[in-house]
This record gives sequence, C-alpha cells and structure tokens, in this order.
Amino acid sequence: MAQSVVTGRASQSAARPPAGVDNRRSRRRKDRAWGVLFASPYLAHLLLLMLWPLGASLYFAFTTYDLVNPPEWTGFENFTRLLSDNNFWRTLGNTAYFAVLFVPAQTILALLLAVALNQKIKGIALFRTAFFVPVVSSWVVVAYVADSMLNPRSGIANTLLDWVGLPTQDWLQSPALVIPTLAGVAVWKGVGYMMLLFLAGLQAIPEERYEAAKVDGASALQRLRHITMPGVSGTTFLVLVLTLITTLQAFEQVFVMTDGGPNGASELTVLYMYRQGFEYFQMGYASAIAWVLFLLILVLTIVQLRLQRKWVHYA
Amino acid sequence: MPDVLTDPDAAARHPETPRRRGRGNLRRTARKAPAYLVLVLGTAVMVLPFLASLGNSLKSYAQYIKVPPDWLPDPVQWSNYQEVWERTDFVTYLTNSLIVSGAAVVGALITSAMVGHALARMHFPGRDVLLVAALGTMMLPTVITIVPSFILFKSFGWLDTLLPLIAPYWLATPIGIFLMRQTFLGIPRDFEEAASIDGANPWQVFIRVHLPMAKPALATLGVFTFMTTWGAVLEPTIYLTSPENFTLPIGVMSLQGQYVGNDNLVTAAALMSLVPVLLVFLVAQRYFVRGVMSSGVKG
Repeated sequence: MAQSVVTGRASQSAARPPAGVDNRRSRRRKDRAWGVLFASPYLAHLLLLMLWPLGASLYFAFTTYDLVNPPEWTGFENFTRLLSDNNFWRTLGNTAYFAVLFVPAQTILALLLAVALNQKIKGIALFRTAFFVPVVSSWVVVAYVADSMLNPRSGIANTLLDWVGLPTQDWLQSPALVIPTLAGVAVWKGVGYMMLLFLAGLQAIPEERYEAAKVDGASALQRLRHITMPGVSGTTFLVLVLTLITTLQAFEQVFVMTDGGPNGASELTVLYMYRQGFEYFQMGYASAIAWVLFLLILVLTIVQLRLQRKWVHYA
Repeated sequence: MPDVLTDPDAAARHPETPRRRGRGNLRRTARKAPAYLVLVLGTAVMVLPFLASLGNSLKSYAQYIKVPPDWLPDPVQWSNYQEVWERTDFVTYLTNSLIVSGAAVVGALITSAMVGHALARMHFPGRDVLLVAALGTMMLPTVITIVPSFILFKSFGWLDTLLPLIAPYWLATPIGIFLMRQTFLGIPRDFEEAASIDGANPWQVFIRVHLPMAKPALATLGVFTFMTTWGAVLEPTIYLTSPENFTLPIGVMSLQGQYVGNDNLVTAAALMSLVPVLLVFLVAQRYFVRGVMSSGVKG
C-alpha cells in the first residue's frame, strides 16, 4: 500500500511539466535511481551496522568464540551458564539499584529546574550554560572533577562534613555508598540535558490555561498539580523511556570512575559484558549477555508504553 | 512541544517578552524568589566542582595530597599546564581527537543530508521501510552491536586505527537523518522546481538549493556529532591499543598510569581536554539547544 502511495505521488509531480508518457516513464526511472543513490549511505549503514550485527550477535550467542578460532555452535549452553552465573545476577542487581536511584532523581530534579527556569527568569542563558558544562564534559573529565569533591582524604565533601561535625564517608571507595554516589554524579552530569527537554515541554503549555486557572482562584500548587503536571506528562514519558534505555546500558561512567570496584560493588552488566568479551575473549558469552539485557530493555520499554495510557495526557 | 518543534527559538526569546512595569514589579520579583533560589543553588552545585578541580590542577603535588585540603593553590603553579603540553603525549591525543571529531562531523553532515533529502523529496522503492528502519536503529542498544562491529572492523584490518571511530558517521546517523528530513520537508518546493526547470539535476538542486537553506540544522547536527565523538570512551578503548593513536579521553586516562604521583598534572590534562568542546558549545550554543529541544534524543 505504501508503495502505491509513493508511486502515485511520483507520477503526480512528474506530470507537472507537460510531457509525453514515454518521457514521464523514463523520468520516473531516473528519479528512482537518484533516490537510491542519495539513500545509499544509509542502506550501507543498515546492512553493515544494523542487520549484520544483529544477526551475527544472535548467532554468536549460541557459540563459543574466542576471535582466534572460528565460532563453535554450543546451543543454549551460554544461556544456561548465564542462569547460574551469580556474578551476572549481581551485576544485574547493581544495574537495577543504580537505575532505581538515578532515573527518578534525575527526572524530578530536571523538572524542578525547568519549572524554575520557565518563570520568565532573568539570566536564563547563564543558568542554562552552567547546567550544560557537565553535559558536554566527557566522563573522564567528570571523573577528575568529581574526585576533587569526593576524594575521601582531600575532597571537599568530606571537608564540609567534618566542618559541620558529621562522620566523613569513603564515597566511591565504600561498597555500600559507591552506587548511590555514582547515581548522584550521573544526575549532576545529566540533569541539564533533561532540564532542557522539560523546558521544551513546559513552553508548549498554552499560557491561557494558567490565566484561566488564576481567574478561577487556583493556588500555585493547584496550578502545578492540574496544569503543569499533565502538560508535561508527554515529555516525562519520553524522558523516562530514554533514560531507562541508556541507564540499563551504562558503561562509561563506571569504567572510568570505579572500574566496577570496590570489590565488584559497582560492576554493572555492560561492564561485565565488556570484560567477558574484550578481556577474556569470550565473544559468545558476551553476546548472550547482550541479548538478555536487550530483551530486558525491550520488555521494560513495552511495559512503559502500556502504562503510558494510564498517566500520559495528550492535549 | 509542537510550539518548540516548529519554532525552536521560542525558548530563547521567552524571557525577553515585554513586561508591564510599575507597582506590581516588586511583588512579582518576590514571587519568583524560590525559582531564583533553586537556580542559584543548582548553578553553585554545577560550577563549584569545576572550580575545585581547577584549583587542584594549579597546586603542587605536595599541596594536592595535603590533608586537610587547602581551598586555594599556593603558590599558583601555572607550569602544570605547560608541563602537560610539553612533557606528555597530550598534543598527540589532541590531534587524534580533532581528526576523529572533524572527520566524523564532515561525514555525518554530508551523508545525513543526502539521506534526509532522499527521504523528504525523492521517490524510490523501500523509502518508507527505510524511515521506519532509521527509527529502529535509534532504539537498538549499542551493547548488541559492539561485538559484531569489532569483528567487522577487525576483518577490514582497521584495529588500532582511527577509522572505526570515523566510518560509522560516514554512513549517516539516524538522528541526523531525522533532523535533515524534517528540515527539508519544511523548505517550499518552488525553489527546487525553479532550479530543475533551469536544467539542474537532483544533485545540483541538493547542493545549490537545499543545503544552503538547511544551514541551521546542519550546525545543530555538527555540534551534536562533535560532542558525541569528543567524549566517547567505549569505542576508542575497544579499537585503539597504541598510545600514539589514543584520543583525548583514553589518553588522559592513560596518563594516570604513566605518571604515578602526578594527579595534579592529570587533572590539568583533563581540564585541557574540556576546552575545545566547551568552546564549540559556547559558540554554537543556540544550535545545540535547538537540537535538544526539537529532537529529544541524545548523542
């Protein structure tokens, strides 16, 4: 059906300059050739960077493959091994813990900042820039910047705690605190970006709704509850879906800041996969881990899409 | 959302809308006090760590490890930056990063514009499938593709070269395709029809008519691509093994191992690696903001 729509439009535009039928047909053929030529980079992209990797990694997941010898079919062995691999489950637990702390914290803070920034504030560009410096910083830069705050001995955080008489903490070097600390740093780095997304959503809410509510005597809190919140629910949904997808795949932050330590307390699933693949050269097992994680992300995204109907308001 | 989609600059203009002056002014400002408080506090939390590490990067190593820490470097050791520049491989890493990000930006712009143009204007079999596929690639987690991509580039003999970091951007990025398609759809057809009556072929129409009109979108895509490639850690870690091929992020990380007991210098190197991307961001900020607000997709 899509096909007929496309060709229908093609003949229409080809017919605009009056021309004979033969002329029109050869022109349409030429049109197609140009279209394929222009689209060719993405055709190559799909083949080389999407379809082939998808197929290959699915195949590898059922093999043992060390990059030196050709892959050897082992059926479901990787997956049964995965089921009884306590380290894998531990990394999945770590990832879930990280996500549970990070996703709500970042979403709420980003919304709060966006609401503040949307009050016809003076110096909006200055604030926006400040919140964006961490966004454009690489994780390596963030690691050093965070160290100036969180270093257990010379960091500012402990100096401040000491100052007000609270016990100092080991932060990234404490097995109990490492994931909450990482989540905090991740919020610090990412909140500016999400704030901007929310700001876009807020600015799409018609001003008249607020004016009408004010005339009806609604308090600021009521306006927030009944106009702002439903108004940005679409953006919130988008933000939640995007952050969950990227959070469950978080790798660079832990790779750079803790390397999974102390004692594996911050080893997230993708870091574990990276180690299996690129440190122990078990590409088959690494692919199996990737697919399980992929399916998990897919299920959670579908669940979010289902739940969406219950709370997202589209104007 | 749609308002910003069609008019991304609405965000920037918003605060400038004229306000009534007079008696209500003071009260109105007071009502905004909580907003200012939140923003000023937030800004402090964002900026303070950078100032602290800037201070650290200017300390001597002895002062760097001092407990309890000094807030300010004394004496201010500017030579740390000079030492990083002259005595480490920083310049090599910087050059590699500039090559990778520069080549990636050029490739992403050319190819994404081409594909976006094809999807917006041309008629060929499978066009609609391609559009859906581009959406699909955006959702596909990178974890799935890492291992096969490594094997692919290994078979090309590209390991330990910068090519695997650049090549994917020369095959059009999904975000770039959407951005460019959206832009081209918004350009009136009259322009290209005039050009094609004058005998220009589709390539000439694309180069002479469409591209010049899409400059803001191209700038947005360029800034996005620069930032993504500049900060990348995973791909360089997987593909590069020789220090002379390292890009800045992994190069700076490797300095830590090479020069034990010089964390003040490595902090200086990390901050130096931030400078180019920060400059790009400051210069092209409005394009970046526009991109975030209209696409809603990162990287």
